This record gives sequence, C-alpha cells and structure tokens, in this order.
Amino acid sequence: MIQTQTQAAGGAAPPLLEIRNARIVYDHAVEAVREVSLSVPQGSVVALLGSNGAGKSTLLKALTGTLALEDGEVEKGAILLDGEDLGRTPTDRIVARGVSLVPEGRRLFANLTVEDNITMGGHLKGAADLARLRAQVYDLFPRLAERRRQIAGYLSGGEQQMVAVGRALMAEPRLLALDEPSLGLAPLIVDQIYATVARLNAEFGMTILLVEQNAMQAMEIADTVYIMENGRIVLDGPAEQMRGNLDVQEYYLGFSGGGERRSFRDVKHYKRRKRWLS
Amino acid sequence: MRSGFYKQTIAEHLALTDSWTQRAWIAVALAALATAPFVLDTYLLTLVTLMMITAVGGIGLNILTGWTGLISLGQTGFMVLGAYGYAIPVETWGWDPLAGFLLAGLVPAAASVLVGIPSLRLTGLYLAITTLASAFIVVHLVLEFPGLTNGASGIFVNRPTVLGWTVFTDQDLFRLVAIFLVLTILGALNLRRSRIGRAWFAIRDKDDAARVMGVDLRTYKLYAFVASSFVVGLSGALYGIFLSFVTVDGFPFLLSIEALAMLIVGGMGSIAGAVLGAVFLVGLPEVVSMVFSAFGDSARALLSTGAHEVKGVLYGLVIIGFLRLQPEGLMGLWRDAQRVWTLWPLRY
Repeated sequence: MIQTQTQAAGGAAPPLLEIRNARIVYDHAVEAVREVSLSVPQGSVVALLGSNGAGKSTLLKALTGTLALEDGEVEKGAILLDGEDLGRTPTDRIVARGVSLVPEGRRLFANLTVEDNITMGGHLKGAADLARLRAQVYDLFPRLAERRRQIAGYLSGGEQQMVAVGRALMAEPRLLALDEPSLGLAPLIVDQIYATVARLNAEFGMTILLVEQNAMQAMEIADTVYIMENGRIVLDGPAEQMRGNLDVQEYYLGFSGGGERRSFRDVKHYKRRKRWLS
Repeated sequence: MRSGFYKQTIAEHLALTDSWTQRAWIAVALAALATAPFVLDTYLLTLVTLMMITAVGGIGLNILTGWTGLISLGQTGFMVLGAYGYAIPVETWGWDPLAGFLLAGLVPAAASVLVGIPSLRLTGLYLAITTLASAFIVVHLVLEFPGLTNGASGIFVNRPTVLGWTVFTDQDLFRLVAIFLVLTILGALNLRRSRIGRAWFAIRDKDDAARVMGVDLRTYKLYAFVASSFVVGLSGALYGIFLSFVTVDGFPFLLSIEALAMLIVGGMGSIAGAVLGAVFLVGLPEVVSMVFSAFGDSARALLSTGAHEVKGVLYGLVIIGFLRLQPEGLMGLWRDAQRVWTLWPLRY
C-alpha cells in the first residue's frame, strides 16, 4: 500500500502486469486457459469476468506462483510483471515484488486473532513497518480495529472479507489481486468492499486486478473489462463500452435489450463472435 | 461483564505473562519445583522427574504437531538420536556433558532436515507414515553401526557433571531436569511470539493463504522440524540419563504414540497442555495401580501380570474419551471451568 505511485510516463514503460498468450494446462492433460492475453497498466482497475470454470482463478494461481501445487503449468506464453517473465518464481518472491492476493473464499487463519491475521500479511516486512501498516489497515477498516482481539473464525463473512483485504494490504502491494471478493456476501457489504477497493485505487494509485462473477458491481469500478469463457477471453474493452454492449448486458448483466426477447439470430451472432475473437 | 483478557498494546501482546494471577501461578509452580526435592520421597520424585522429561518431549512435538500442524510419529527416532547424541560423545569419547547436551539437540535437528525434506509436500496421514518410517530407520541404523553405538547392548550413562555441579542423587537429577523443562518452556514461548511462530500458526490454519502472504512453506516447515527435534532430542538425552542406560529397547515405538496422546489429552497447540498431558499420562498408570491395590491382592496380581496391556488399554480409552468429549483436551476443560467460574449462574 499506500504510497502514491506516479503514472508511468508516456507509453514506453511496460504495463505492471501483462499476460501474453498464456496457455495453462493441469496435469499435462486438462487445458484450463488457452492463449489468453491481458494487460494491467499501472494505476488501473482491471476486471476479469466470467462464469465458473472459465479459467479466471487459474490465471490468478499462475500469477501468484501457486499453480505448481496443483500440477498446473504455464505451457506457452508468459506472465510478465514489470516486463519480466515470472517463470517459476516462488510465491514469496512474487509477494516481495509487490503482488498481493486476496484469495477466493477469504482463507483466513481461523484460529488466530484479527490482529495476528493482519500481521501475518506483513510477513516479509520488518517489525518497524508492521505497526505503521497495521494502523493504515485499521484506518481503512475501522470495524477491524474494534474486533482486533477476536478470533478471526468467529467474525461475520463481511468482516472476514475485510480481514482478508487488510491482510493482503500489509504486504504493501503494487498490484492487488482480488479473487471473488463478493462471494457469499450481502449486497450492502459488497458495496463497502468495493468502495474500499475503489478508494485504494483512487487515493493511493494502487493497481487492482479484480476477478469476479458479480459482473455488474465489478464493471462499476473497473477501467477495463475482460470477459472469459471456457479458458478464452471472448470480449474485452473499456468498462463504459462494455456496459453498453448488448451481448454483455444480455449474458452477464441479465438485461434483455429493450424489454423484448432478442432473436435466436443474435445469440448465434454472439457465439460466432466469440469464436472469432478467441 | 468481563469476558476475557484483552491486550491493548503491542508490548502486552508480546509479553510472556498477561496477568498477575498468571504470574502468581508461575511463582507457585517454580516454588513447587524448587521445594519438591526436599519434600517428596524417592518414588514420587522419580515419577515427577519422568513427567518432566516427558513434558520436554511433548513440548518439542507440540512445536511440530500442535503449532505447525504436521503430524509426526517420529518422536521415538529423534529421542533415540538425542540419547545417542549425548551418550556417545560423553561416555565413549569423554566429552563435557554440556557439549553432549548440545549434540543431543543438534544431531536430531540435523537428521530432522533429512526427514523433513521428503516430508515437505506431505501432510496428514502421509506425513505420519513418513515420520514413522524415519523412526524405524533410526533404530536400524543404531543397530547397524555397533562400532559407534555398541549395537544392541547399548551404552551405560553416568549422571553428568555440569559446570562443576555433580548430578548424583535423585534430587540432583530432579533439579537438572527441572532446569531443562523451564528452559524449554521459555524457549518455546519465545519462539511462539516471534515471526517464525506466527508463520507456523498460519501454515497450520491455512497453508495456501500463508503461501500468498509470502511465507516460504519449505523453509518454515523445516524450521519447525529442526526446532521440534532439537527439543525432543534433549528429552531423549534426559531420558537416557534417567534410565542410566541408552539402548534402542529403552525407546519403544510406544513413545511416539504416547507423545501424540499427550498433546491430544493436554490440548493441541498449547505448552501448558503438553505439560498437563505429560503429567496426566505418566501419572495415570500409577493412579490406576493404586486403585487396583485398594481392591485387594487378586486385582494387584492381575495388574502386575498384565501391566503393559492394561496401560495400552488405558491410553486407548483416554484418547478416545478426549477426542469424543473434549477435543481441546485438559486445556479445554480448564477454559470451560474458567468460563463457568466467570459467568455462573448464567450460561453466557
């Protein structure tokens, strides 16, 4: 966190994160991600949308270096952080280089207190930094300051998600990756979490990679949106444009354009476009 | 109504004790350890000495199993290595016992790296089997190198002279073991509140989340193996001195089971639990034999012929009972008692 980052001057600097033609295979057999390219410029909010099994989480695992645990492998292409291929960099090195993950389903240390959970996020930080970083997290989530002595497992889902985000911020990430932060939470809590994420971007210039199924909410704070399906990116573009896209409205936001049912031809048109785009 | 102690500052969080009651209890415990040699008779003194040695081993296993969540059945192996790590240099080569105690920790610690590396990707049952195998390998290695270890006949161990203090009587041995127990508890408590201890807890609770916090799982699991086996090795050396004889027969595999049972009965992941578990499991057979002898001669005869079996059955029953009724062990019972005490007559 939490120091203002200057925007990369001109177009010369590489994006903070770039995924180039990545093909990810589990067990040498199951192809989870096929030829996906995406780019997360410094200081932007990028949303990666798609339904279950689209390959979103697999991409995040590749980014955090935890793919090998499940016998997964980036077979082709590259994942570049600051223009450098991450290759087989171990997870702790990736964290040290400024990538923090808020894992899906929160994954808190259920037997530790809120404070210990948050402190754990600063594992790679010196003792002197911990107090300062903790104060910043409590500043962002005053609710956690009240609950700091409680066992994390006894918190409500929303509070747990706050702990998970706060914990990730303790590593002072340049890129904060959130895996389904809205999972299983009430709409009001989701609004709060999203407001905080938007604030992190707006006030501190933190780069955000947001992986979501909750398309509507994600599109509201994102600059750029990528939509994945069956391991490919089927649509991408600036968020405003995507919000206006009829296909996206129909398939991800649940609107059927203009009140009347769209014809079967349009459906086929969408499918065809997908095939061409991928 | 007060529902617990809440720590307000980092200093309090890091402090070893958190209340005057706790400090008072510690003072009482230290006073008891100091006066025990003058008060207790030889039988009780020996029993408490054995409890303390077992507790040292239990605290060692607690680092690996209670804190890091790695189940180990290799306790026996590390104890044997610790015992020989002490006995060979001190008795065969005539080194100073202090160096012997250091080696009693370092030898198992080094071996635990060897055991630990293949175990890094394993958890649960698989890890238990791997460590179990390591315990048997150690025993076989000891028997395979009679030139160094004197094979099956073992090594006679004298009571040591440490820094000019000759440990000769049972009272002296009690004091030596008590010093080791206190040092072990202090060391373990200090590890627990460090960055390393926090990382261990994180690995135990959610290892994948710990990994994305930047915890290098291999390194920290190996730290746990090394710290744990160092302490367990010390308990092995103390046990060797206690038996005044180091052989592989003195360290039956049952010790590994007992150590795990101790943690379960005492309360996983707590040092006080490990100590309570040791007191409970070492004391249990003695209490039972007292009860049996109260029933008269025939019951006593039954116990003396089937002592080993009775002990085994008892361990089994106690472990099943605790797993079913109080998975948090004696520490859980203690916490429940505190809660009742604070909240009575309301339930919560």
